[in-house]
Amino acid sequence: MTAISLAGVSQVFGKGTAKVQALTDVNFEAEAGTMTLVMGPSGSGKSTFLTIAGGLLTPTSGEVTVDGTTYSDRTKKERDALRLDAIGFVLQAYHLLPYLTVADQFKLVDKVKPEGNLSKDDLDRILDTLGIEDLVNKYPDELSGGQQQRVAIARALYPDPAIILADEPTAALDSERVAVVGQLLKSLAVDHNKAVVVVTHDVRLVDFADRMYEIRDGQMTLK
Amino acid sequence: MFLALKEIKKEKLRSGLIIAMIVLISYLIFILTSLALGLAQQNTDAIRSWNVDKVVLNADANTDMRQSFLSQQQVGKLTSKEAYIGETTVVAKAKGRKQLSAVFIGLKADQFVAKNVQLTSGRRVRAGHEVVVDEAFKLAGYKLGSRVKLNADETKYTIVGFTKDAKLNIAPAVYGQLSTWRALRGMANGPVASAVVSRNADYKNGRAGTKTYTTDQIIAKLPGYQAQNTTFGMMIGFLMVISLVIIAVFLYILTMQKLPNYAVLRAQGIPSRVLVGATLSQSFILVVSGLIIGSLLAAVTALVVPAAVPMAFDIPALSGVAVALLVMAMLGALVPIKSVLSVDPVSVIGG
Repeated sequence: MTAISLAGVSQVFGKGTAKVQALTDVNFEAEAGTMTLVMGPSGSGKSTFLTIAGGLLTPTSGEVTVDGTTYSDRTKKERDALRLDAIGFVLQAYHLLPYLTVADQFKLVDKVKPEGNLSKDDLDRILDTLGIEDLVNKYPDELSGGQQQRVAIARALYPDPAIILADEPTAALDSERVAVVGQLLKSLAVDHNKAVVVVTHDVRLVDFADRMYEIRDGQMTLK
Repeated sequence: MFLALKEIKKEKLRSGLIIAMIVLISYLIFILTSLALGLAQQNTDAIRSWNVDKVVLNADANTDMRQSFLSQQQVGKLTSKEAYIGETTVVAKAKGRKQLSAVFIGLKADQFVAKNVQLTSGRRVRAGHEVVVDEAFKLAGYKLGSRVKLNADETKYTIVGFTKDAKLNIAPAVYGQLSTWRALRGMANGPVASAVVSRNADYKNGRAGTKTYTTDQIIAKLPGYQAQNTTFGMMIGFLMVISLVIIAVFLYILTMQKLPNYAVLRAQGIPSRVLVGATLSQSFILVVSGLIIGSLLAAVTALVVPAAVPMAFDIPALSGVAVALLVMAMLGALVPIKSVLSVDPVSVIGG
């Protein structure tokens, strides 16, 4: 079942001589239960793809469909609610709130979305898998970059979203942790029937992917 | 509130500095307000204590009781709601005591003003050579039984009682008999009083050469009173505006530093209202904390400030000032809200 799809999506920034064609007629599909990689070099349009797929940016043309409904049929408030309920963002710039402990990062989600989040056992399992179970009372400034990245991954998974959009989730991790994170994302897709979309140029993740797209100069092709 | 409390708990130094700034501003405003109120009260305490609604003066006295003289013909017949007031400035002196500039207020013993003088010790005036004085005399070393001379008059007057909060134009009041006022003015057979005061709100003298004023009109014309109040009012008003700007700048910087974090939260679907609520509630907690500490400092100051300092810690007035400061601070807190609302979650994608 298709969890998220982009059909004929193009994105143009600027006008006149400053005009930049970031995406050209992109068609993309990610199935529930699969892990999809979008690979490409810097400046190829990966981030633009991710912002459009996550409903943060309305494309110049084309449609994005999530859960059977296009973004253009949803209000801004409904898109916010969709991101909170159905889309988990794992961001390269993880920006954990500096004044919240790891445990409080999850409590914040509970405050905004009291129901439908992971159970305590499921959260503990993810924290354990990511090797951060002993860090729950630490503040972000007490964590290394890799530890913060893993907390950011756990935070994105906590609302139990059907779709996970990850932006370079392994950028700050060593090879051992890349394998752990790759396996976790794969497990989330296969065992929990989520659609996992990873935008990356980290070839170490290729082995975990069920499907792979390549993006170059704003044009996407299925590999 | 959750985010606000967590941030204040984690960022103790930063929050402490902002609270300290609000404490200093609020303390300064509380003290200035108390001084303004204290001085205003010392200008008007005596008049207010008479509880009168109308004051009749000579029409040519320029609304100044000290310059007013009323003849028997101008006064007419008085009811029990009216009373004579004879006012003149005096310098009180006694052997071994420092001189005090004061206001002598001559009263008729059987009229309501004289009967209503609130004594803190001693008794009321019964004879021409007796006076009841404000407690400022006590601070200058005068006691019950002290004999004072008023101006160059060789007559000695015995202090038979003390009354508090009896000041007029900052000077302590000396209550005596109306005949003493006439003697001090050297007009034994002339005018009967400086003024006639009335508890009747509808009272109007209406006789030739007189003019009837409300108490507030008289107070407004007290020498220096308006200028002093305006000066203090402007100082407090400017401080309020300055505090608004300072608090707004601090909160703006505080909020701008958090925008990248807020962008991530927005990307994750956290509604803007949660972020706005966090910003406003954080401002509210910081400002209220600062106001409470500032109020406590002002209360401690009220306990230790010498009696000679003209400060009045009027709780309703200071509460009003605190609420005004809170409103100003919250207005300042609204400044960065536009930035919070317009935070762009796209900015956090792509590192």
